This record gives sequence, C-alpha cells and structure tokens, in this order.
Amino acid sequence: MSEPMMIVTADEPETPRRAFPYWHETILLVLLVGLMVVARVLEPKFASLETQIELSRHIWELAILALPMTLIIITAGIDLSVGPIMALSAVVLGLALKVLGLTPAAATGVALATGLVAGLLNGVFVAWVRVHPLIVTLATMAAYSGIAIGLTHGEPISDFPDSLRWAGSGSLAGLPVAGLIFAFCTVVAAVALGKMPFGRYLYAIGHRETAARFSGIPVARIKLALYGLSGLAAAVAAILFIGRINTANADIGAGVSLDVITAVVLGGTSIFGGRGRIVGTLLGVLLIHETREFVSWRWEKSELILIVIGLLLIVSVLLNAWLTPKRRE
Amino acid sequence: MKSSALSPTRSGSTGLDWLSRREVHVGLLLFLTVAFVSLKNPNFYQAQNLRFLLVNTAPTAIVACGLTWVIVTGEIDISIGSMLGLLATVMGVTSSSVFLNWSPAATVAAILALGLGLGFLNGLLVTFGRVPSIIVTLGMMMALWGVNKLVLSNYGVSMDVSCMNPSLLWMEKGEVLGIPAPLCVALVVIAVTVFMTYRMPLGRRIYAVGSNVRAARLAGISDRMVKLFVFSFMGLLTGVACLVRVPQLAKIESGIGQGMELLAVTCVVVGGTAISGGKGTIVGTVLSVLLLSSIGSVLLFLRLGQNATYWEQAIQGAFILTAVLADHLAGRDSHEGEA
Repeated sequence: MSEPMMIVTADEPETPRRAFPYWHETILLVLLVGLMVVARVLEPKFASLETQIELSRHIWELAILALPMTLIIITAGIDLSVGPIMALSAVVLGLALKVLGLTPAAATGVALATGLVAGLLNGVFVAWVRVHPLIVTLATMAAYSGIAIGLTHGEPISDFPDSLRWAGSGSLAGLPVAGLIFAFCTVVAAVALGKMPFGRYLYAIGHRETAARFSGIPVARIKLALYGLSGLAAAVAAILFIGRINTANADIGAGVSLDVITAVVLGGTSIFGGRGRIVGTLLGVLLIHETREFVSWRWEKSELILIVIGLLLIVSVLLNAWLTPKRRE
Repeated sequence: MKSSALSPTRSGSTGLDWLSRREVHVGLLLFLTVAFVSLKNPNFYQAQNLRFLLVNTAPTAIVACGLTWVIVTGEIDISIGSMLGLLATVMGVTSSSVFLNWSPAATVAAILALGLGLGFLNGLLVTFGRVPSIIVTLGMMMALWGVNKLVLSNYGVSMDVSCMNPSLLWMEKGEVLGIPAPLCVALVVIAVTVFMTYRMPLGRRIYAVGSNVRAARLAGISDRMVKLFVFSFMGLLTGVACLVRVPQLAKIESGIGQGMELLAVTCVVVGGTAISGGKGTIVGTVLSVLLLSSIGSVLLFLRLGQNATYWEQAIQGAFILTAVLADHLAGRDSHEGEA
C-alpha cells in the first residue's frame, strides 16, 4: 500500500529546481506582521494582549470549519454547504431542546448527528454518484438552508441553557473551551495530513484521482469520510455559535461557506487540489480574523472588511502565481 | 473535437441520439411541470401570469447566456451577483433626478462600459494574472459587494427607482411588436449568442478551448484571448441585465443581485453544461432558467397554503438535486468516457 505513495509528495517537486516551498506562508506571515505593526502604531489598544484575547472569541467557528475544508480542497473538491449545515444543525438543536423537550446532552447529540448525516449525503453524491462537488454542494446548500427556514419559519430561537453554552463561551484552566477544541482538531488534522498515509492519499487524490484509484487508494470511502467530517465540523461550529451568541436562526450560515473557502485558499491551498498545508490555513484564518477585527475596530464599517478581504484574496494568490516557477498544465 | 462538442450525431449513431440530450430532458420536464400546474389550476395558464413569469426571468436568462460560455471554457464567474448590485447602484446614482441626473444615454453607456470593464478585469486576472477564476471572482464578489454598500451608504442606503429618468423606466412597461421589452432584450441576447456559437469562428473557439486547451493552442487559437473575450462579454451582459432588472424594482438596495450567481450557475449546470468545460448549449441553459424560475410560481399556484412558502427553497434544492441525480444516472455511459 505504501509503495505508490512514494511518487507523490506534499510539495510535489514537479519542477526540479524548485527553490523555496514556503513562499506563500512567508507572504502571509509578512502581511500579518505588517498588519499588526500598523495596528500597533495606529491603535495601541487594539494590539494589546487583552484586546486580542477578547477578540479571539470571534475566530473559532471559522477556524474549525477551515480544517476539513482544507482537506476537501486538497482532494480537488469543495464544500459550499458548510454554512447551511451549520444553520440547520443550530436550528435542529434549538427545536430538539424547545419543541421536543430533550435534555441538552441529547439535543447536542441530535445536532451533531444532523450535521454528520447532511455531510454524508454530500459525500454520497460526490463519492458514489460521482457528480462534481461544486454542483452537489450548490444544490444541497439551497436544500439545507431551505429545510432550516422551513423548520423555523424564519423565526429565531434563543435562550439556551448555560450547560449548552459552556462549549462556546466557557473557559477551562483560563483558556477558552472553543480554542481547546480547535487546538485538538488542528493537531489531529496536521498529523493526519503530514505524517500519516491518509494525508498522502489526499494529496494523491487531488493530484490525479484516476492514478490514485489505480494505486489501490479507497478514493470513494475517503471522500465520503471527508464530506461527513465537514458536516460534523459544521455542527460543532453551530454549537460554538450558539454558545457565543445564544441564538439559533436559519440564516446564520449565510456567507460562512465563502468565508471559510477564502481563508483556506488565502492559506495557499490550491483550488485545483494536490497542494496545501494546515499551517497555511491557520495563517489564512488568522490573517482574515485580524484584518476583519482591525478594520471594524478602526473604521466601524463592515463594507470595508469585504473590500479588503476580497482584494487580499486576489493579491495573495496573484503574488503566489508570480513567485512560484511557472508550470504548464 | 468540435463536432463531438456540439453536433448531436456522432459516428455510429442510430438517429435517436437526440433523445439522450439534456435539452430534451429539461424541455420535457418544463412541459410536464407547466402541464401539471395548468391542469390543477387553470389560472396558471393565463397570458397575464405567463407574461409576468417570462418578464421576471429575463435578467437571469441574460446573465445565464454569458455564464454558459464562461463555463464552457472551463472557467467560472461568481461575481455577477454583486456586479449587478453595484451596477444597479451606479445606475441609480447617475440617473436619479435627486443626484447626478445624467441623460439616459450617458447612464446606459456608463453601465455597459463599467460592466465590460469589470468583466475585462476579471478576464485579465484569470488569463495574464494566472489566478484561478473561482478565486478571482470570489474576491471580486466580496470586493464589489463592499464597494456597493459603501457607495449606497453615501446616498442614504436605498434609492427610489421612480426618481430615475422616465425613459430608462420604459424597459418595465414598454413593448416592441407586442412583446414586452425585457423579453425582447433577452431574446436578442439569446439569438446573438446562439448565432455566434454555431456560425462564427469565435464561438467555435470557445468550445475548442474548453474541450482541450492544448489542442486548441496547437490549432493556433489563443486561449487567453478567448477567455478574455468571454469574461468581458459576461460583464457586458451583466450590464444589460442590470438595465432590464432595475426598472422592475421599487427601490435600489444593497440586496440586489444577491444569490444571482448561484441561481445562474445552477441554471447553466442543470441545462447540461459540463462544469469541466467543453460541453453545453445556450438552449439548454435557457430552458433550465425557465424551469427553475417557474418552481416558485408553481408552488404558489398549487395552493399549498402559507406553510409551503417557507419550504420553497428546500423544495427547489431537492428538485435540483433530483434533476442532477436523474440526469447523471441516465447519462452514465456517456459520462464515463469523458473523465
């Protein structure tokens, strides 16, 4: 099984004289440091540690969703439905609690199962029926947010019990619980991707799926697992969101999918598959988070955030395309 | 290569190959849907309702034509929704008697030029900037949406369409030879794109680039120029769609165009265009635009009650999923060979 894996490596040195494989991460780091220096000069209070810890509450949902998205995009797939799955899980959690009268633990279980099933349905279409993931998740995106609207009639559900909100807003030994969950997931994802055969399989699938299939890699099963994982992560994000905001609504997922994809792509994962690292995604998430918080801290205008992040995305990939050696096909 | 992309008859065909074409499936589904609703509720079949349906569909049909070409070249454009929103705001600001009060001709020229320019910029970044189109247009989608909101906030969040120059509003009520003006514009766009696809070298090159870039290059086709054209044309059509859409509305707000890119992509894909490029027709796209946009009105006319309106989006999503699944299972043999 490990034999064919020798061919494909994470950094895929297709051009023999490829000098420095961390161009993209370097660009991001420079941008991030530059941003923080500017922030320090312009808004000393923003760059202080207390403020940063306080603002970090906003990052966890995006960060947790970005992990499975990185894995999916490495296999040349995409999942546009994470936002709607997040909304659907949140709504189901609320209804299970308020309408069905389940205990918080049981309701959490139902919400996680909802996310997992929704993700697996994507996986079935992508892996077994073999429809392009962009099309599958475009359709399920409409379907899932439609179900969330249908279940709630668009009404928000609020006032969740404290035991449920602990994951999103509580802290353990001085650290936010959400952050600890994320740190655990990150380590698992980074080890699985960088140090285990599973990770090699993902790069192989993203690089050339047919070749991966002929090498005996269980392509369909891996894809199914990845989309299921993505749905599960969306349910976890929903629980964190409820903990933070104390409200579940059918439209909380609007725009989330694109934010997550932006973070991953900004982090240097190739949208065509076969290339990407967890480190890059972390930097991408961090850069988006800091940009967003700084712009809203200084100018209090959400429109500017959109413009800055949009341009950031294009410019970072443009720079990356110029700095890395030119490849045909 | 070209013949396999477009002509229904391949070597060894039995003469019944047209039955397996997506246009036929979508057309049949459209016919069945309309027939079913008309039987359940004859009001649906009234000219007034059909006219309303077609006129409202026109802007989507216009952008979907351009998007078909973009997807046929193997690229994608998801910035059209926010581009339309920004163009609508520009249209409001330039033509309103309260603000700049430009002449209608100047406004129309500005909208079309801005659309063309933004599309050209997309194309430039994709071809010469070597940035994947999904990333360029994703970034552009966010940036343009932000610019739109910023501009709107300077002019009081929303603008009344009625303040605009009356000759621009002709598009809403006007008729040419008894055909409503929006429908006329859509028909012209469809006719022009279909003609170019089948009868002009440029149209053929779009399919050549989409089905095999290397072969196209060897045949002396510049894939960059073709893609640059396709993106610019997409921008121009977004401008046209804006001129058609805005007069139909009461107010210009930041929500205009939101979700349009997803609807348009869905229509193009359900209409049989391969997301990997090289395959797809304008006719299929237009039929699926009609099919998908009639669902909302169909639910209304089936009189399922208030509850059904909440489920409209879910039903639409399930419908698309079923359509994709059915088509994929039906056409499995032909798909396998192309992977």
